[in-house]
Amino acid sequence: MPPLEGGSRIGMDVSDAALVRHFPQLEAALSHTLDRRRMLKLLGLALASGGVAGCDPGTPDRGFVSAVRAAQGVVPGLPNIYATAHMRDGYAEGILVTHQMGRPIKIEGNPDHPSSLGATDVTAQALVYDFYDPDRATGPLHRGMPTSWPDLAAAMQAMRATATAPHPDGTQAGEGLRILTGTITSPTLGRAIEQVLATFPGAIWHQWDAIGRESVTQGLDLAYGPSIAIVAHPGQADVLLALDSDLLDSAPGHLAYARAFAARRNPARGTMNRLYAVEPTPSLTGVAADHRFIATPAMMNEVIGRLSAQLLQNEAPSGGPDWLTPVVADLRAHHGRAFVHLGPDYPAEAQAAVQAMNEALGGRGAVFDIVESPCYPPAPPTGTLAALMDDMERGAVRALLILDVNPVCQSPRFAAALKHVPNSIALSDRPHETALAAQWHVPLAHAMEEWGDARGHDGTVALIQPQAVPLYGGMNALSALHACLGQPSRPAMDMLRDAWRDRLPTPRDWHDALAAGVIAGTVSRRVDAPLRQAAMRVASPASFPRAANEAVLLLRPDPYLWDGRGANNPWLQELPRPLSKVVWDNPLLVPPDMAQAMNLRNGDRVILTRGTTRAQLPIWIQPGQATGCVVGLLGWGRRHAGETGNGVGTDLYPLRDMTGPVQIEALRTPATPIACTEHHATAVGTAPSDVARHGTLAQFRDRPDFLGGGATPHDALYHRDPGAPVAWGMSIDLNACIGCNACVSACQVENNIPVVGRDEVLRQREMHWLRIDRLYEGTEHAPDTFFQPMLCMHCEQAPCETVCPVGATTHDSEGLNVMVYNRCIGTKFCSNNCPYKVRRFNYFAFAEHESRPPISRNPDVSVRARGVMEKCTFCVQRIAQARIVADRDGMGEQVVTACQAACPAQAISFGNINDPAAEVTRRKASPLTYAALPEQGTHPRVTYEARILNRNPAIPS
Amino acid sequence: MTGKTGAAVDDAALIFPAETPHSLTERICAITLHEGESGWTPLWWWLGLGFALALLCMGVISVAWLFYAGLGIWGIDWPVAWGFDILNYVWWIAIASGGTFISALFFLLRAPWRTSLNRLAESLTLCAALCAAIFPILHLGRPWFFYWLFPYPNTMGLWAQFRSPLVWDFFAILAYVLCSILFWYFGLLPDLATLRDRAQQRWQQVFYGVLALGFRGSGRQWRHYQPVYGVMAALMAPLVVSVHSIVGMDFAGGATPGWHSTQFPPFFVFGAALSGFAVVLMAVILLRPAMGLHPYITARHIDTLGRLLLTSSLCVAYAYVMDAFSTYYGPDPADRTMFAFRLHGLYAPVYWGTIVLNIGFPQLLWWRAIRLDLPVVWLICLGVLIGMWLERFLIIVSSLARTQLPSAWGQYTPTLWEWSLLCGSIGLFLTAFLLLLRFMPMLAMAEMRAMLAHRP
Repeated sequence: MPPLEGGSRIGMDVSDAALVRHFPQLEAALSHTLDRRRMLKLLGLALASGGVAGCDPGTPDRGFVSAVRAAQGVVPGLPNIYATAHMRDGYAEGILVTHQMGRPIKIEGNPDHPSSLGATDVTAQALVYDFYDPDRATGPLHRGMPTSWPDLAAAMQAMRATATAPHPDGTQAGEGLRILTGTITSPTLGRAIEQVLATFPGAIWHQWDAIGRESVTQGLDLAYGPSIAIVAHPGQADVLLALDSDLLDSAPGHLAYARAFAARRNPARGTMNRLYAVEPTPSLTGVAADHRFIATPAMMNEVIGRLSAQLLQNEAPSGGPDWLTPVVADLRAHHGRAFVHLGPDYPAEAQAAVQAMNEALGGRGAVFDIVESPCYPPAPPTGTLAALMDDMERGAVRALLILDVNPVCQSPRFAAALKHVPNSIALSDRPHETALAAQWHVPLAHAMEEWGDARGHDGTVALIQPQAVPLYGGMNALSALHACLGQPSRPAMDMLRDAWRDRLPTPRDWHDALAAGVIAGTVSRRVDAPLRQAAMRVASPASFPRAANEAVLLLRPDPYLWDGRGANNPWLQELPRPLSKVVWDNPLLVPPDMAQAMNLRNGDRVILTRGTTRAQLPIWIQPGQATGCVVGLLGWGRRHAGETGNGVGTDLYPLRDMTGPVQIEALRTPATPIACTEHHATAVGTAPSDVARHGTLAQFRDRPDFLGGGATPHDALYHRDPGAPVAWGMSIDLNACIGCNACVSACQVENNIPVVGRDEVLRQREMHWLRIDRLYEGTEHAPDTFFQPMLCMHCEQAPCETVCPVGATTHDSEGLNVMVYNRCIGTKFCSNNCPYKVRRFNYFAFAEHESRPPISRNPDVSVRARGVMEKCTFCVQRIAQARIVADRDGMGEQVVTACQAACPAQAISFGNINDPAAEVTRRKASPLTYAALPEQGTHPRVTYEARILNRNPAIPS
Repeated sequence: MTGKTGAAVDDAALIFPAETPHSLTERICAITLHEGESGWTPLWWWLGLGFALALLCMGVISVAWLFYAGLGIWGIDWPVAWGFDILNYVWWIAIASGGTFISALFFLLRAPWRTSLNRLAESLTLCAALCAAIFPILHLGRPWFFYWLFPYPNTMGLWAQFRSPLVWDFFAILAYVLCSILFWYFGLLPDLATLRDRAQQRWQQVFYGVLALGFRGSGRQWRHYQPVYGVMAALMAPLVVSVHSIVGMDFAGGATPGWHSTQFPPFFVFGAALSGFAVVLMAVILLRPAMGLHPYITARHIDTLGRLLLTSSLCVAYAYVMDAFSTYYGPDPADRTMFAFRLHGLYAPVYWGTIVLNIGFPQLLWWRAIRLDLPVVWLICLGVLIGMWLERFLIIVSSLARTQLPSAWGQYTPTLWEWSLLCGSIGLFLTAFLLLLRFMPMLAMAEMRAMLAHRP
């Protein structure tokens, strides 16, 4: 693989501090007074190092040399694809990384990986930026200041000596040594940590995730015993009840779950399932539901209590919301095909009770499986963060190793506790809050630069292989642990190879497993553990007494920044949140009635007080949120995320340390403008939309094409036959779309779409070629929500083409509406004339001002200059690539657009609409197919399949 | 500004009875050639020029920054991709119509009153067309390629795209500006010859001599001159209609709600006439006392222009009514949403301001007393100019802010750079007009002499 140049920022900063940061050794040299002799020495050093810097540094694992001759298998202009995995809170999602000339430029899902099935989520798409991020760690730090590797090694040695020295009171070796990690599913890393623990028997391993799922694990402990995980099969369920659930958007395995769920949503292609959602604040799962019921957190507890009473104790329904009885009846009527899922924000008792309900509904083996937990260690002897912090405050922790978690940022108490620890080392791939607060910071290589393994939600092991030489240096986590042990460092690849030698004995097996990205047959075994009776005991519904101005605060992870790790990624910052469409900020989500009562409008600032902590932030009115319930998004307001993420939004972690209701006090300060990509569509419409068409299953059964029509005009005068042998078209199934924005992110990465920043979004100049429109219908308090991906429709009769005075946008023979950037003079008439408003204009040189290095861009897609219009091309570069392959192999083009590839729900299909066998042609023949804005006579090549809701007739809407 | 015209003069007179061809020539030439006791470069001219140049400087800075930084310095955005740029263009080109209506259309109609006004009106046309012409170039994302609109042979083998209203617009504007210059210049030839002959200073003799193109006033020259002038007028009259129709088609050719209307071509001609007459009236009311033109521009002229203003205001009112009617009679819900937004939304003050200024106040002109009350007429005209500007804001911005898909609704707030460019274009207009006032005869002397000669 050719060497990579990164760090484009080196040499641009000239201040001493920045210089020292890049060249830590300079600090010692600069601290002396400069005499002539020393000056000449330094100059000589500079001259010599100029030559040295030209050489490839190599890695600790393997020597890399400059590519004087082209690397084997790398053909200029052709992509190379390597499998690896993306880690999401410890769980692997298999990905394929596309390289161009050795540069990773695009992520796709790994079809062989059960947690991906070929799809990706937004965070996986955004990995490319993280990889090239100029703000990543470039060297070790000591108390936040750059230091050298030898100094670090010496410190580690000293720390090891402290830890191993027998304590005067005769305690074990390692007493006082603590290791803090996140959830770990990697068998190799887990074993390495256990090795450390074995060497230092007194040491304790603490596991903690900022956005944890401990309650789910503990609930399963209660229900079945330790080390149990649940794998759902939503595709097998006829009725699903989602209780404040994250099943489709962030639970481990959510991509696979979304795929299976969505496969049962289109009545034209099979029998529909039915999803009920009960939740305090709208989620993707709730929006996807046929019936969405709004419940405050207090009501949620009541609902769980009543559900367990009816389903487990067979009590007669009494009280509770009206819809509960028909929902229970529906679940019961589908015995063995019904599934209940509870989100991670509810206590272990509730989780156990829900699992008991699932057992009572008889779905085990069909709609869910109980398997061995993929997490490491298999048994839970680990401590919690709270226990660790107690020990730290007591002074019982003498050495602390923090592996790739950021507790200083995410658990405010931790920062103070850390001051009591004499030796602390933080390992992370960027100098974040914890790295700067710990005594030593060891830079880790990025996940795309190291070897490793990790399990998916079902236990399947994915192999992680480096995609490049570490751009900024950095150690492997495995090597770092070895270094801590004082053992001679072994190449991580060898450690990994050894770990799997039993299963992959021959080099051929190893190679095949690397190529596939997964080790076959590693899926977790099913467990026959019976349900424990303890699970039936559900905690009594807690009551949430509220005084005036008091509200229940729900703190949820930001869907894209997650616990804050994505904060320095501008792609994630600028990706519209699925429902609010807010970017670059985390306003407090407030229900409409509270906003009305407090006379608040979007952007007005409030003070949020909980216990002794308070936060000041703007608000955003969220239709469909439960009365008296406000939602804050975590992961914002980072202090040391990097240049992009520092200080963006408000840090709400301090509020999480407190409990109880919050007081909200409106401030009289001027409102904060909130960057939002759908400012004027927050209005709730009462009339059914003709653009995002929808109806009920009953209507569909009456007349399947009751919503269709308009896709193909019946009038011969206007009928346009796609004449060419190949006519590209797309069909988007609104039944499947869950609004997750993975397609938007994939499109941005694939097509070099620039990020414009908060100020430009405030001026409505965002550049996404593909957007997901969100429509509300009904009342503001309980609207029906619809998502509709909106992209260039590639109209047969394109209004944009006729108005361009220079013919910069024209039609090609295959029906693509092509944009000739070089010809565009920027009249913007095409955008004005586009009824779908899918064209974006480069008001400034947005691409030029991006912080990522140019080598991270897709070389097959032109980067657009200032003053030029751009829009969706149907991934014309992929069509061209597919055509070459098709010409070579003599088969039809197999084109998969970037949005289509990323979609977990397979809502998008693309292909030749003149090919009767193509998936897109079959989908377009669906009775639900319609064209958006048919009255415009544009004959779009993109058509939609209208959304059908499987309403329960027993529940009045 | 005097409130009333001279009481001794018959209101119906087009020219004071005491005036002779000689006195007229003397007076007008004295202004232009800066000679004699009525020698002319008054203080107000210098102050006006200073003010105009200051505005022009602001515009130049604004354009320089625009070219350096890009279109992003303006407030235009994703849904509202046109703003002040196109708005000001349409506004200026409409203002430019007045001169052509008066000098060409009413020449063909043999309206005797146009003779005193045509030079002044045509000069206004010229300056306004100049201002209008810069905006289509400035509004481009890559203005240095503006010539790609022109179908010229090139190595790229590319041609302009003739289906685009912007190409029609390019040709319409080009033809209109060129013909306006020619018509103005051709009408000026006999007067330039007069100036050449009367000039005392060498530079004036050379300057006007070169410009006069050897016009000697021979019978043969007059025999050719008059038919050509007539033919040019016959060309100009339809041209003024076509240019505004095509400006209307820039919008009508679009599929945007609020633009896609078959009545736009005549609607834009009505609007152009309204603003054209208004600006001529404003200039006349100010210049008559300032330049001592009372004997030639009388109450009759003001009265006639007032009637024309009222007529065109009524035409515009008809267009507004039809706009509302076709929206609510038509089947398109997007049109209705957009129109409701005009009536009640963010820009509702703009809509109602348009109605009041363009239709409401001009109704006062039904009364002759008001038509002759110069300050009131002047204010009504100013209102019309502002009203027409607001109308264009409404057509462009409120339509784009409320297109078919609610997800693409937006709004537009002009920035300092757009305001400074508007001021700059006003500065350009005033600078050019003040220079013409100073160096060109503001009355068509030859035609006036002919009229005086034929006076009964």
